[in-house]
Amino acid sequence: MKVSYNWLQSFLKNKLPAPEKLAEILTMSVFEVGEIKKVGRDRVLDIDVLPNRAHDCLSHWGVAREVAAITGNWSSSIGAVLKKNCSNGAAPIKVEVKNKDLCPRYCARVITDIKVGPSPKWLKERLEVIGQKSINNIVDAANYVMFETGQPLHAFDMDKVGGSPRRGLPPRIIIRRAKKGEKIITLENEKYELNSDILVIADTKEPLAIAGIKGGKKAEIDQGTKDIILEAANFNPQNIRQVSKKLGLRTESSLRFEAGLDANLASEAIDRAADLIQKIAGGEIVPGLIDVYPKKIRPKKIKLEVEKVKRLLGVEIPKKDIIKILESLSFKIQDTKYKILNTIIPTWRLDITLPEDLIEEIGRLFGYEKIPAQLPSAALIPPERNDSLVYENKIREILVSAGLSEVYNYSFISEKDIITRPVLVELENPVSREQKYLRPSLMPNLLKNIKDNLRFFNEVGLFEIGKVFKTEDKRQKTEVSEEKKLAGVFALKIKSEGTREFYQLKGVVDSLLNKLRISDVWYDDANNKQQTTNNKQFYHSARRAEIKVGDDLVGWLGEISPEILERLDIKPRVVGFEIDFEKLVALATEEREYLPPSKYPAVVRDIAVLVEPSARVEEVLNLIETAGGPLVQDVDLFDMYEGENIPDGKKNLAFHIVYQAEDRTLTDKEVNDLHAKIVWTLENEGGWEVRK
Amino acid sequence: MLSQLKQTILKKIEKAKDLKSLEDIYRRFLGRKGELTGVLRSLKDLPEKERREKGRLANQIKQEIEEKLKIGRGKFQVPSSKFQEEWIDITAPGLQPTVSHLHPITQIRQKVEEIFQSMGFSVVEGPEIETEYYNFDALNIPKEHPARDLWDTFWLKRDVIATPYLIRGKQSSRKQLTTGLPRGFASRNDGKKLLLRAHTSPVQIRYMETHQPPLRIIAPGRCFRHEATDASHDVQFYQVEGLMVGKDISVANFRGILQEFFKRFFGPEIKMRLRPSYFPFVEPGFEVDILKNQKSKIKNQKEGEWLELMGAGMVHPNVFKAVGYNPRDWQGFAFGMGLDRLAMLKYKIEDIRLFYSGDLRFLKQF
Repeated sequence: MKVSYNWLQSFLKNKLPAPEKLAEILTMSVFEVGEIKKVGRDRVLDIDVLPNRAHDCLSHWGVAREVAAITGNWSSSIGAVLKKNCSNGAAPIKVEVKNKDLCPRYCARVITDIKVGPSPKWLKERLEVIGQKSINNIVDAANYVMFETGQPLHAFDMDKVGGSPRRGLPPRIIIRRAKKGEKIITLENEKYELNSDILVIADTKEPLAIAGIKGGKKAEIDQGTKDIILEAANFNPQNIRQVSKKLGLRTESSLRFEAGLDANLASEAIDRAADLIQKIAGGEIVPGLIDVYPKKIRPKKIKLEVEKVKRLLGVEIPKKDIIKILESLSFKIQDTKYKILNTIIPTWRLDITLPEDLIEEIGRLFGYEKIPAQLPSAALIPPERNDSLVYENKIREILVSAGLSEVYNYSFISEKDIITRPVLVELENPVSREQKYLRPSLMPNLLKNIKDNLRFFNEVGLFEIGKVFKTEDKRQKTEVSEEKKLAGVFALKIKSEGTREFYQLKGVVDSLLNKLRISDVWYDDANNKQQTTNNKQFYHSARRAEIKVGDDLVGWLGEISPEILERLDIKPRVVGFEIDFEKLVALATEEREYLPPSKYPAVVRDIAVLVEPSARVEEVLNLIETAGGPLVQDVDLFDMYEGENIPDGKKNLAFHIVYQAEDRTLTDKEVNDLHAKIVWTLENEGGWEVRK
Repeated sequence: MLSQLKQTILKKIEKAKDLKSLEDIYRRFLGRKGELTGVLRSLKDLPEKERREKGRLANQIKQEIEEKLKIGRGKFQVPSSKFQEEWIDITAPGLQPTVSHLHPITQIRQKVEEIFQSMGFSVVEGPEIETEYYNFDALNIPKEHPARDLWDTFWLKRDVIATPYLIRGKQSSRKQLTTGLPRGFASRNDGKKLLLRAHTSPVQIRYMETHQPPLRIIAPGRCFRHEATDASHDVQFYQVEGLMVGKDISVANFRGILQEFFKRFFGPEIKMRLRPSYFPFVEPGFEVDILKNQKSKIKNQKEGEWLELMGAGMVHPNVFKAVGYNPRDWQGFAFGMGLDRLAMLKYKIEDIRLFYSGDLRFLKQF
């Protein structure tokens, strides 16, 4: 809120600190002050009044009260000017409040024979300094009092307010819900269609204003206006907020009403405004305040335990200082000798409802800076270990050391990014069409990263750990779920002729699983699986694998399908993997039994097998292991080769076979026999040639 | 005469300064026309006895000289011809290993976690899709309250419900039903819309619902705000939430813990200050600013300018009520701070959007 330095000064008896100093004081004790601007002879402070104090501090008076509490400097009160001469009398108009829940208080005053014209210079200046346009003396006076007290006011041209003239009845103001289909044209000539959620100020025929938000054209003040009805009311904040949001109409008035206002302020503000109007526009204030206020708001009482102040703030503040602070804020202490202070809260402090609220007031005016730093004396409980986090960090380390860099992508994707069609989670209010859906996979954004980075790098390897989202229909309800995934991609700028990208990334995945000590890992080419259609479309049909641990599917590895790459305009091959993070953690944390290494020597024999190109390494491995039995401790593929020296239409697979027993040294004969059995099996069962 | 010659030769070998002069010595004395060779050759004309005696002596001298020459050569001649072929230019640049990088926010996050863990805080996580209840209601931010405007929120479309999410970690039994869900879970979420969490504070609620005080946790994670992006705002960012609850955890304790954190994170010269602010889930509420000394000035920071770093406060009694704690028995502090902002300060990064660009030219600097 923009606050005029001079205006603020007018409420205080002593000279205010210089604007910069004042800004600092306010920042440290109540509101953050932003920019300070010089306007004419005045200075304007941009004060950030937060929602908890909008009800009493979106006004110069409110801020002045705070300054007074901080600096102990206070002079004038605003209201009560008219009480003497104008409090009693017969009302010249009738006011009827139909919905008291939406309008707890309605005050009105009539002023006759005014003269509409430009505002005096001082008033124009005050409004201009805080960025408000001057309209005419009546409207300006109402606005001025709003910026002064925080209470929005409205003036109607009384001649335009219909009553029942035929029966000789006075003009009538009715506060009611709008009827469906009813319309109003506002002061700005905008037309709004109303409904029963909306409270209006109406005469006997039609709405004159949208309550608390905007005045209507019908009873507008103009050059010819003679008599006015001045309104200062109190409206239900939730309703004002809903309506203002629905109509897209936010005004200085709605802003204040939706924060909630002290109902007792209305009469003070209306008297203040009537007085001001009389001073600047002449006319006569008709005696008698019309005041529909069925449930008068009375001050609350809060019991404050002095001991609790110390317990919450962690600093001992003497009781007399506590009392002084509370009194500076106009809180009254009924009896100061007890350990519990019975505190009476002025009705304008709607935010104070609990002892904690009072402790905040004490804390901020005492000064948070005077509270010492003190480490808690509580026994140190060792932190609980978070496996997910431990493994997240470990996985990051492994992948970085394997040559992949970590990226963080947006959680959103666009319709265009939908590579496959899982059930997407859609946003109701996306910021743009590019960010309309939540990502169902980490892959689409990673592929974009590949594309962008290949412009600058010859080799790009990336990974990301993050949440993905999907919907699923369950028991007549659509359920949204999120899952943590780990995904990686790898590509070379110069597209390889063959398989380097695939095997390089597969090596990364192998090494990851291995370092996480997850065993029983195998790759399934998964050609006939139904449930994995999405992933199947995503990967190259001859270069993809399900990553499995035992029977568990933990993720996918594969070359991205050429169609998808073409659609994304990516030329090189890209290989990617995506793994279910939680499964990975669960597998990694499983307890494993320790197997001592055998004390007896191992014998290594190599074997080279000529197979047809379509034969899979795993088939050969399986035969070796079955034929070898438990004495074959390990089999490693160390070479896979086609070309020179290899017959056409064949490839050469070379393995190290490690023979070892747990309980004895194997004899040459045992090893030779076993090896011969493996050779025999490969030749006879596998139908392959073992190269001698 | 022979021994005289020997002395001359040995002296010359000793004085030789390089390989070439050694070769010259060899050629001059031991070569085919060398002086010593000449002497040896002349021996054949001597009588047998003298020949044998002098011959032995001459051969001894020859061997001795050859030995010295060999040692001398060894001194100068480093690469023998065999290794010469393998010569490399050791001044050429080394091959770069593929150097990969952790994301800067990961690095900041790990550091923050490490510091708080060492002070006894457990690290917990919560879901990114939240219910209105956890993101707002339980945090004392009622519907139709202007305070809701402090969080510009992404809402999910369609009539969808969230798959129940259970917070990790040891669960105390007090709030568990047989379904494994906190009490009242379903009713609380009926008719409530789903959203992308606008802060990490919902984790406070989820954690307290399933755990008994006293407790101390931090909860880092991704959050979302529906707002126009610029160099310091993005639609997503990382926050770390902190919560400490006990019998008498006070503002002074908050100051103690946070001061310790800032010192370990930014260095001992850091200063912090608390000033009043408002967040519905705390009372009192404050904003925490930091000031670094002049030397370690943060980019774009004017001298003596305080930088806003986190929102914090003492947990509001209504929040305790929402999770079933008795506010008379428990009190504590909570805070939330932007990890992106921390990373920007630490690494002097000027545009938050770089974090989510996936641009290796940026990422490889960390």
